[in-house]
Formats: sequence, structure tokens, C-alpha cells
Amino acid sequence: MSLLASAVLAAPAPTPDIPAPTIEYGLLSPMLLVFGIAVVGVLVEAFVPRAHRAAVQMPITLLGLAGAFILTIVVATQDITPASGQGWGKLAAMGSIGIDRPTLFIQGTILILALVSTFMIAERRTDEGSFTAQAAATPGSAAEREGLLAGATHTEVYPLVMFAVGGMLLFPASGDLITMFVALEVLSLPLYLLCGLARRRRLLSQEAAVKYFLLGAFSSGFFLFGAALLYGYAGSVQLGAIARAVRLGPGGQYATEVYGASGQFAQVTVGSNALLMLGVALLAVGLLFKLGAVPFQSWKPDVYQGAPTPITALMASCTLVAAFGALFRVFYVAFDGLTWEWRPMMWLIAILTMVVGAVVAVTQTDVKRLLAYSSIAHAGFILTGMIAADAAGLSSALFYLAAYGFTTIGAFAIVTLVRDAGGEAGHLSRWAGLGKRSPVIAGAFAFFLLAFAGIPLTSGFIGKFAVFQAAIAGGATPLVVVGVLSSAVAAFFYVRIIVLMFFSDPAPDGPAVVVPSVFTSAAVALGVAATLVLGVLPQSVLDLADQAASSLFVR
Amino acid sequence: MELYVPILVLAALSAGFAAVNLLIAAVAGPKRYNRAKLEAYECGIEPTPQPVGGGRFPIKYYLTAMLFIVFDIEIIFLYPWAASFDRLGIFGLVEMVLFIVTVLVAYVYIWRRGGLEWD
Amino acid sequence: MSTHVLAAEDLSGFGTDPWWLIVIKVLFIFVFLVLSVLLTMWAERRILGRMQLRLGPNRHGPFGLLQGLADGLKLGVKEDLVPKNVDKWVYILAPAAASAPAFISFAIMPFGPQVSIFGHQTHLQLTDLPVAVLLVLAMASMGVYGFVLAGWASGSPFALLGGLRSSAQVISYEIAMALTFVAVFLYAGTLSTSGIVDAQERLWFAVVLIPSFLIYMVTMVGETNRIPFDLPEGEGELVGGYHTEYSSMKFAMFFLAEYVNMSTVCGLSVTLFLGGWRAPAPISTIWPDANTGWWPMLWFIAKFAMVMFIFIWLRAAMPRVRYDQLMKLGWKVLIPVSIVWIIVVATMRALRNAEATTTTWLVVVGAGLAAALVALYLWDRAAEKRREAKETAKEQEFATLKAKPTAGGFPVPPLRAAHYGSAVRDALEAPRPERGTSAKEVTGA
Repeated sequence: MSLLASAVLAAPAPTPDIPAPTIEYGLLSPMLLVFGIAVVGVLVEAFVPRAHRAAVQMPITLLGLAGAFILTIVVATQDITPASGQGWGKLAAMGSIGIDRPTLFIQGTILILALVSTFMIAERRTDEGSFTAQAAATPGSAAEREGLLAGATHTEVYPLVMFAVGGMLLFPASGDLITMFVALEVLSLPLYLLCGLARRRRLLSQEAAVKYFLLGAFSSGFFLFGAALLYGYAGSVQLGAIARAVRLGPGGQYATEVYGASGQFAQVTVGSNALLMLGVALLAVGLLFKLGAVPFQSWKPDVYQGAPTPITALMASCTLVAAFGALFRVFYVAFDGLTWEWRPMMWLIAILTMVVGAVVAVTQTDVKRLLAYSSIAHAGFILTGMIAADAAGLSSALFYLAAYGFTTIGAFAIVTLVRDAGGEAGHLSRWAGLGKRSPVIAGAFAFFLLAFAGIPLTSGFIGKFAVFQAAIAGGATPLVVVGVLSSAVAAFFYVRIIVLMFFSDPAPDGPAVVVPSVFTSAAVALGVAATLVLGVLPQSVLDLADQAASSLFVR
Repeated sequence: MELYVPILVLAALSAGFAAVNLLIAAVAGPKRYNRAKLEAYECGIEPTPQPVGGGRFPIKYYLTAMLFIVFDIEIIFLYPWAASFDRLGIFGLVEMVLFIVTVLVAYVYIWRRGGLEWD
Repeated sequence: MSTHVLAAEDLSGFGTDPWWLIVIKVLFIFVFLVLSVLLTMWAERRILGRMQLRLGPNRHGPFGLLQGLADGLKLGVKEDLVPKNVDKWVYILAPAAASAPAFISFAIMPFGPQVSIFGHQTHLQLTDLPVAVLLVLAMASMGVYGFVLAGWASGSPFALLGGLRSSAQVISYEIAMALTFVAVFLYAGTLSTSGIVDAQERLWFAVVLIPSFLIYMVTMVGETNRIPFDLPEGEGELVGGYHTEYSSMKFAMFFLAEYVNMSTVCGLSVTLFLGGWRAPAPISTIWPDANTGWWPMLWFIAKFAMVMFIFIWLRAAMPRVRYDQLMKLGWKVLIPVSIVWIIVVATMRALRNAEATTTTWLVVVGAGLAAALVALYLWDRAAEKRREAKETAKEQEFATLKAKPTAGGFPVPPLRAAHYGSAVRDALEAPRPERGTSAKEVTGA
């Protein structure tokens, strides 16, 4: 009996027998809002005249991020009990997305940091903004000059940032490896593009974009290989199912419900340990690449240097938070029963990351490269917190990420302000004597550097203290020793810059400090305030991180 | 798998036919050397020197290829959805309309920005 | 699990043929295609001749029927040139890459229902797949490799542009074509061709889904690079397009590929929209046995020939379009219309499946019409605005050029130059001083 005939004869309609998945729109509302604003941003690009685009894009982006932050708080204040009955949280969207307290903390951090980064993106007083007029024009060509003269700028930056932020929100919340991969791509692809949009030094910027894209594509490949091997091992890509398979061990059997066929179960036999170990290693490569841990750090200095500085700030803060969030979720949920296997690997990577980041930073002469290596070293410090593999480690890392994010955005915001004829004055020698010329800016920068170094009364000290304390409690005392030593090395070059700024004579043709609009001022001020408050009165945020981490990730 | 065997047989036959044709072309015809015949044909004028590895061509074609991939993927999503539409219920309709609208947003953007113009 | 979702169709009748039956069917398809190519070529030239008030080929065999064969033989004994600039292996393999996939699509074409061959019950169809139509699309895409590689390997600008144009056109029209299939699958509930033919037992999809059918008819011409969409080989501008540098059997293979592709899209249109092998309405009503046994093959071939005739008719009737018009039609008309039509069809079907009340129907249809009207109004206003802006810009440009021919950086000749046909009048008028200055500006620029 054909369906068409039934249409003509008005026979009884076929019953839908593929069940509709349940999707908890309320729990996912922050992400849905961010993605929705991104789509609206694309429409704005399509229909609003060029002259008004920035004026429309900027407010909706800021409002979208703020709204998503409020929604995150609303979700966090709800009372949600997981299926297991303990803790707080829920696996939403048929298990693809895990909403729990650590995730909400991470998402909230990402949204606030993205908001502050967007302030920098919106700045138009430094050189008509940080973004190129025509990305497609060959550097130095007539077409490029034409675009510059017309005062054009790529307002596509706003929707691209929103897509990237949406991916970052989804990345640490992913309940299975496929969702996580999609989130990884959604956050990466816009960033690749954004890296190539710098207004000055176009070739460097394009080089950064291509490098980031090629290496990022490689790391995505590693991630996928790892996911495939883990699927071969566990018969599922769900993090919870992988954890169950790890507990059962090779040869163990469990039943899983076949989606779309209610009541049908498939028997899954857990595969060999070789698949598991290789899978863990490859997956870790993909994740560690995004946070720039050694030996997967080589992209970071080049990309941070070439990218437009607001985007560098976004990557240094939000991407780092998202990547750590995903790393924590994978290792705390899926590889929970494997702590003894992955811990030595993480030891090695944490040590390498701290040492290489700190030592190589000493030789740097470019501010943005230096901050990139500093970011690598900080990733190492946060990894030491992770070694503990318990709630204390998670809590300390969450605090560290929030504190570091504000400080690094503030530091990059100041980098955009110190300018000479060629744009931002990147070379450190140009910063000599800045303290005499512009004491406020130099002072703020010095304060951020002290926070990076971990001097008391800054958020950096509290953060380092927290992760080292967690690591010692987790039995990683040698690691903490390495951490403290590399902190000392790092402190050397931070102090060297402070000395350079305040105790040497300014060059006669030195860079000028641009008086920023309210946007960059807000970014710097928020950075200073957060660094100070989290350094002096950290308890409320520490409590919040503790509370978030105590229930751990939902399975 | 049995369903695919006949296709393989047909593929082998058509590939063999193509190979035989190539062979006939190489063997049956005469061979009369003439330098002009071996030049690229450009209506009788001196042929344009070709750079090694092929000439440059308008970037428009690249853009078309990228757009093709976007829409082809959309279509690949549409096919299984269409084939099992009656079994998905209203939910299937709503989800797919949302998906199509999202792709259409990108399409509208391309259109407005002149990505579909050929001049 | 994907098989679970797509397992709606019953393919149990396929894949059970013994080897000799497979060989017979494969040979039949092959012979059918080669014969259809030869006969189409003949028919095309004869019909074109009639339509242009001349005779067409009538020397070889009765009514010139063997003309195609003679052409093929002639090409076989021509010199096989390999120009010196070509990338040799790619150049040689490209014709094979174009022609070999073209044959494969026909594997899933249903010629008829189950019959008995030497006591063996079998379908008049080589095989069927849960994703049969996808195979056709895949093979169409594979064929593009032949065109683009031929163009690239030839080492000639004409061939390169021809190959690029061809591939860009084929992939553009493939999207619109593939979108028209969605509505068919929606109604048939399957991608298997035998299932789709069964679903048209009462009414052809060409009737139910008229917009899909019409779009398909346009895209199938674009997909096969035929007039009015034969830009890739537009001899006025690109000599022969991607096969400029090919001769002998290699050229013949591109020719063959084009005609086999035509056969494929014709067969597909019959299968998906014109009821497949089922007899057209009056015949099946008065003769119940028309859809059994071997008769359906006749109906299939009759419909096939009819669609092929439309191809030839188009060639006789239509001029070639411009390339930008071609791409505009594909990307700005066919694709959006297809997508909107899919949404409309899906909504209507979902309402029927949910057994919606009359009120719901009215509300949905009303909302759809209102949205369409609003969209149309906005569109019209925007178009009006654009038109006005264009007019103003044109007038402004004209005014500037009239006042100062070198404006805008281009050395435009003055509008009243002597050699522009106004010599007499200019000679009568006094020499104008601004012409001297403009000439200076031209040399200065």
C-alpha cells in the first residue's frame, strides 16, 4: 500500500514510531542564547548597511553574553538532582550535554571573560579598531588601501566571536565525545578566521591563522582518532559509558539501549586495554593542544603574536578555560578509574609545561610572545592542580582559571594601548621608561605582571597557593617543588619588565599611550579590580569554586 | 552485500570498455608527426605559455565548490529525514525546519555579500 | 541503527540472482545504453533537421539509422593526438574517468516488475539499494572528475576554463536536483527506486509534486551540460571546452559520457516522477494486464524516449544562456525555490499525518500565505530601491563622463570623437578646447 495512495484515500495516518528525543531547553538556554545571537549577527551582517553594522552588532553581542550569564545563574540556582540521586546536575539532551555545577562555573567564567574581551573588540579609538578593513585583500595592495581609506572594518568579528563562545560553552559541557568534537570545531573554526583579521602586520596575522588552522586540524584529527579507539574499547562514545567500561575491564559486558527502538538492548563487550591506552593518549593530545601544554605548545607564541590583540585576549582567557573544562570532564568522568595510568603522563606534561613555559619566556623580546609563554607556564600550574584528581584539585583549578583570565585580558588590553607608528609597540625595548611617561598604564601592567608572578595580595598568589595545596594533598609534592622553582624563574622576567618600565630612561621616539574609550578602560579596570579583589578577599570566589567542585561532574 | 555485487560487475564492464577504447585510440589511428599539431589549440594563434602545474583561475570557482559542500551536507541530512518522515512525527518537522532556516541564514548572508554574483 | 531507520523498504527480491542472470542483466544494460546513445544521436540529428526544415543524416542504413555507428568508427581510426603540454597520465585517464561512472547509475533503474527468466523469478532491474538514488548522485559527482581533470591536464586555457565551468555548473545544478528528490522521498518513504515506483501506483509524483518535477526538468538539462546550458563547450567562446585537446576515441568517450548521462537523468525522471515502468493512465485502466510481465519495459522505454525528445526539442528551440545567467538561475532561483517547496510539502504532510483539524489547516495555510505576501512585498520594495539606485548611478556616471571623459581613472574616449560617426557634425562645429585638455589627461594617466 503506497503512502501516496493513503494520502489520496485519507487512510489512517502512520504512527510516528521513532521517539522524539527530550531536550531540556531550560538547562541549555545559555548556549542556545549565544548561538541564537550569533545567527542574528549573521543576519545583521546581511541586511544592515555597512555604516551601522558595528553600532548594531556590538550591543546585541554584549547583551547576548550578559543575558547568557544571567541564564547561567538562573540555571545554577535551580534544584536539579541527577539520576543517581547524589550531587547536583543532569545529563541533558539525551546524554549529550552534562549540566552540573563545575560546568556552570566554567560557563559563567567563559561568559564574563568573553564579555570583557568583547569590550576590547568594540574599541574603535586605537587605529579604528584592531581588525582589518578587508581580510581578502592582499597585504599592501590597492584594494587594501581602498578599504582602509573607506574606514571599513570587519564587523563579522562579532558573530564569529559568538560562535566561538558558543562552542566554548558546549566544549566542557559535552557528555559524549562526538558532541565534544563538534564543540571543539565550533570553537576553533571561528578562532582560526579571527586570528587572520589583524589590522596591522597583515602577513604576520595571516601566517598565524594558517599555522593555527593547520596545527589545529592536526590536533582535531588526534582527538577523533582517540575517540574512535575509545569507541572500539567501550562500544560507546558517552563519557559515562566509557567510565563504566573502564570499571568492567576488558571482556566485561554491559547492555545498552538501542536508540529509536524502545525496549531493545544491545550487548556490548569491552575491548582490549591497548585500545583504551592509545585512545586516552590520542584524546589527551587533542585536548592538551588547545590549552597549549608542552609538547603541543608550539602554535601558541606565533598565534598569540599574530592575532589581533583582542582575539589573543579571548583565546588566552576563554579558550583556556574551555579547554581545561573539557580536559577535566574527560579525565574526571571517563577516565576516573584510570587515575593511576594517566597520572604519570600528566606529571611529565605538567613539569615540561611549567619549565619550558618559564624558561623560554626569559628569552622573549616581544610582549605578546612573552605573554604567550607565560600563558603556557600558567597552563602547567593549573595541570598540577589536576594531578590531584579530586574535588580540591578541580576547585583550585576553577579559581585559578577565573583569576588568570581577568589578569591576562587586562594585560592584553594594555598591550593594545601602547602604540607607535607601526601599530602596537611589540618589542620590549620600546616599553623602556613607560612608567615615567604614563604611570597609570605602566602601573596597571606592573600589577598584572606581579599577579602572573604570584606575588601576595594578587589573585595569582591565591590561585597558585590553591593549586599547589591541592597537589600536595594529592601526593604530588615534587611537582609542587618544580612549580615553585619555575615560578621563581618566571618572576625574574616579570620583574625585569617592571624594572625596564620604571627604572630606565624612555626612548626619545618611544611609543605613545593611546587614551582609550570607555571599553578598553573598562577591560583594564575590571582586570585590575578582579586581580586585586581575588588577591585580597578571595574567600567568596574560593567558596563558590569549592561548592561548584564538591559535587563533581555529572555522569 | 549481495545487493552491491551487480554494481561491481557493471563497474568492471564499464571500466573495461573505457580501457579498450583507450587502447583502440592508441593503436588504430595513424601517427603523422607535425609540430603544430602538438601545440595547445588556440584558434590558430600562438598558444599562451602555461605555467608549471596549471594556470591560475578565478577564485569564484573555489567559492562555488565550498558552497556546494555546504549544501551537499544539508542534502545528506535531508535524505534520511525525508525517507523516515512519517515515523518522526511533528518533532522531525520542527527540527528540520530549524536546521534549514539556519542554513538559509548563511545562504542569505552569502547572497547579500555578493557571493553568488558572476560578473 | 541507520539500517533500522531506513529499513522501511522491502529489498528481499534483490540480491538473489544467480551469476548468469547478473551477467545477462549487466550486458543488457550496457547494450541498452550504447544503443540508446547511438539512436539518440541519430534521432537528435534527424529531429533537428526536421525542425530546421532540412533532412538530417539519411545515407547510412535505412533512414540513416547507422549514422551514429559510422561516426564512432570514423573517430576510432582518427589520429590520437597527445599534445606536448599535457600532464600525460591524467590526460589519458580523464576520458575513462568521465565515461566509466556514467554507466553505473543505470544499475538501479527499474525497467519493470518481477518476471520469469529461464524459470527464475527476478526483477527487471539489475539491483536495488536502500540508498539507490544516492548512487546516481554519487556517480554524477564522480563523472565531474573526468571533466575537471581533462580540463586541467590539457595545458590549455580554453580547456581549463571549460573544465572549471563544467564542474561548477554540474555541482551547482546537482544541489537543486538533489533537493527536488527530497520531496519524492518524503512521499515515497524510501530511497530505493523500486519502492519509489511502487509508491506511484495511483498517481505520478510529477502530478503531486509539480514544482519538484519542473525544477528537476531544468536541472537535468544543466546537469548534463546541454543546450541551453551548454556553456562549458560553448564553441563561440571556448572552442570545445574541456575536450578541446582531445581527438579520436578519447573525444568519443566524452561524447559517450554526455549522452549516457542524458540517458541516466531521463531514466531517473521516469522513475522518480513519471511512474516508472507503470503504464500511463488510460492504458492501465482499460487493460489491467498492462503492468505485468514484460510489457512494462515498453512503457519505460516509451517514457524514456519522450523525455529524451524534450532534450532534443530544447536544443532546437533555445539559444544558449550567458554563464552568469546560468549560475544566477541555479543559485538564486532553483535552490531557494526547492528549499521553500520542501518545507511546504513537509508541513502539509505532517499536518495530514497528525490528522489536523480544518481550523489548523486554515491557520497554517493562512500564516504561510501571509508570510509569503510579506516576503514578496519586502522583496518588491527592495528591488524597486535597487532599480532606482542603479538608474541614479547610471545617470550620474553618464553626466560625469559627458562633462569629463577621463573621470574615474579610465581613459574613455570623448563621447563626440570624430571617428564615432559624428565626424561631419564635428567638422562643422568649432574645435572645442576641452578635447585638447582631455587628451593631455589621458596621456598623463
